[in-house]
Amino acid sequence: MSNNNDQWLKELDEQAKAKQEQFLNGIASKLKRSRVTEKPQRPFRGAPDFWGQFQLNVDEKLDMFKRNFEAAGGYVLRAATLQEASSIIVEKANELQAKYILRQDVAELERLGLEQALSSISVRSWNDDEQEDWKARAAEADIGVVLADYAVAYTGSLTLLSSKSKGRSVSLLPTLLVAIIPKSSVVTKLGEVLSTFDEMGRENLPAGIHFVSGPSRSADIENDLTIGVHGPGIVYAVIVDDIES
Amino acid sequence: MSTQPTALKGSVKERAQLALNNDFLRKAVRFTTERLRSGKLKAAEEHGNWDEWRERGRQIRLHTIAHLDYYLGEFANNARENGVHVHFADTAQDAINIAIKIAAAKNAKSAVKSKSMVTEEIHLNHELQAIDCEAIETDLGEYIIQLANETPSHIIIPAIHKNRFQIAELLSKDAGEELPPETSVLAGYVRKKLREKFLQADIGVTGCNFAIAETGSMVLFENEGNARMVSTVPKTQITFMGMERIIPSWTDLEVMATLLPRSATGQKLTVYMSGITGPKRTTDGDGPEEMHIIILDNGRSLQLGDPEFQELLNCIRCGACLNACPVYRHIGGHAYGGTYSGPIGAVLTPALKKNVAEWDDIANASSLCGACYEACPVKIPLHDMLVSLRRRKVEAGRDDPMERMGMKGFGGVMGNAKVYHNALKLGKIGQKVLVRDGGIRAKIGPLKGWNAYRVAPSISKKLFRERYNSLKTELGGTTKLDPAIAARLEQWRSKQDGGASH
Repeated sequence: MSNNNDQWLKELDEQAKAKQEQFLNGIASKLKRSRVTEKPQRPFRGAPDFWGQFQLNVDEKLDMFKRNFEAAGGYVLRAATLQEASSIIVEKANELQAKYILRQDVAELERLGLEQALSSISVRSWNDDEQEDWKARAAEADIGVVLADYAVAYTGSLTLLSSKSKGRSVSLLPTLLVAIIPKSSVVTKLGEVLSTFDEMGRENLPAGIHFVSGPSRSADIENDLTIGVHGPGIVYAVIVDDIES
Repeated sequence: MSTQPTALKGSVKERAQLALNNDFLRKAVRFTTERLRSGKLKAAEEHGNWDEWRERGRQIRLHTIAHLDYYLGEFANNARENGVHVHFADTAQDAINIAIKIAAAKNAKSAVKSKSMVTEEIHLNHELQAIDCEAIETDLGEYIIQLANETPSHIIIPAIHKNRFQIAELLSKDAGEELPPETSVLAGYVRKKLREKFLQADIGVTGCNFAIAETGSMVLFENEGNARMVSTVPKTQITFMGMERIIPSWTDLEVMATLLPRSATGQKLTVYMSGITGPKRTTDGDGPEEMHIIILDNGRSLQLGDPEFQELLNCIRCGACLNACPVYRHIGGHAYGGTYSGPIGAVLTPALKKNVAEWDDIANASSLCGACYEACPVKIPLHDMLVSLRRRKVEAGRDDPMERMGMKGFGGVMGNAKVYHNALKLGKIGQKVLVRDGGIRAKIGPLKGWNAYRVAPSISKKLFRERYNSLKTELGGTTKLDPAIAARLEQWRSKQDGGASH
């Protein structure tokens, strides 16, 4: 079956490649010129020039992130160390009587020591066992814990890059999301994060790059704001001053 | 449960009449568009230098469209390197055929969909249904209108025309139990119901806000999280993309991410912005195993090389022109009769369909006030395009013969100063039987339409032409256009190349 599928896909791809030439030639002829095969020159790229000057210091960045993230309905907390961040999560878990917690499988989050601190409930780490149905584990989780790769002050957003140990479902399916943000990864503008993807280049990009700016929301019923429509309804951003300690 | 298109009934005028009679619709549309519009204005002001950002957005779009063959080719090749199966479709039917072929090969029983105007354009749900693959809209508003068997009436808030009681009734029927008309309960029901659907679905269908040529990535903007679900949970992902959705780089995405959410809802960024680069990596624990992107033309290429309409392809589908439009706010989206409504729909629908006779009257659903252009984050001159559409309609001889005769008569009178002056003098005498309180109310002849809701002014007792000589003396005899103004006008005219260069 799998071989059949591969064969079938190969045929589809061959058809598509032939079609692509015809399609692109059609565009060129509509534009009344021959095909452009060299990268076109551009006098500009990205945001207007003056935007490059806009830069905040650390405290301003943290303030602005907090303001924007909270305006979108999220919560922002500060912790000096990972131990402090851990106590915040433990407290939330107890308060909400969480039964299942799922975290990304990264060293910083392991050092939170949630498994030990919450030994009476299930704390699992994403994808550490190939046999497990991880989407189901994420769907049942009350709390998902992730490590943010970046946070953007100007838009109040977290950036999460996917990998084997950093599943996309961990930040999507649980009811409550906790994102640990190392203070050093807070940047001023969206462009600072986006340009790193151009620098990384195609072969090095993860399959999923997700910017998260607060809890899931909708205003589709009579413009009445509803929180937690499909994604997490409660989102905590915990900024950790010293992630190494 | 298909979103079969509601058949086009009557003219825009007749459909608008329906909307004008529907009090709730008019109120809801006005309330929502006002909220979105003021949110947008506030966000734009807070951000600052809005016109510089608009101009940069326009430049990026113009440049990409002017080199579309290059960037689209670059995108397709890179996406293929990422492991995506990229397909090209000239027509809606071609796109449907590809999608159905994939769904059939997977033996798919259900497909969960996040919002995509392209799939509305090609009526995908109906076709999937036909091969026993249930198509489920997962955006809250889209789910509601799918249950009602209707089409979206606003590009950002598709169920804008339904109130909570109507929604409670639809969802109660779906649930098989009585649900109260409370937003949180209704949304909670949909969350639970769709959770199961996400986890069971064989296929996830998405649209595409932007495609990044240099890395072959696709970008989705949303608030609910359903687009993330659709692109994370099912084994197979099919993405439909209009062929003009391209931008060159991630760096350029900053400009689009600045313009789109602020223009659509006034948000600094939507709750989720997702960049997806290929199917899941071998060791990843989630994400689609197989990913297809279907790139659709369906009339878009007809705008290429057309100086009057090429800029239409710059559209980023934010809906700001709908919210700013005085006509949309009165008649709502369904009156436009096509997939896209509002000013953008009034131009895009006839443009994509090459102005077939059926769509002739849609260009008249505008007061040409230009509010759409002011609101547009990439500065598309929609009001100019509407005038061009009307002109083309007349040139093609598809205008009303009575109107043509009237215009000819009007031209005859206006084209000759003497005839015009005599006509005015005659009118001054003739109107005496009709004028009441300085205005004409009678719904007769050419005044019928105008006087239905307004009062036509009467011809002045002392005509301007009769006063002109004395006015001229007062002004000191200057009657020539200021050369500086003339130069600016000329410069403006020469810049109207419709984006053919760049």
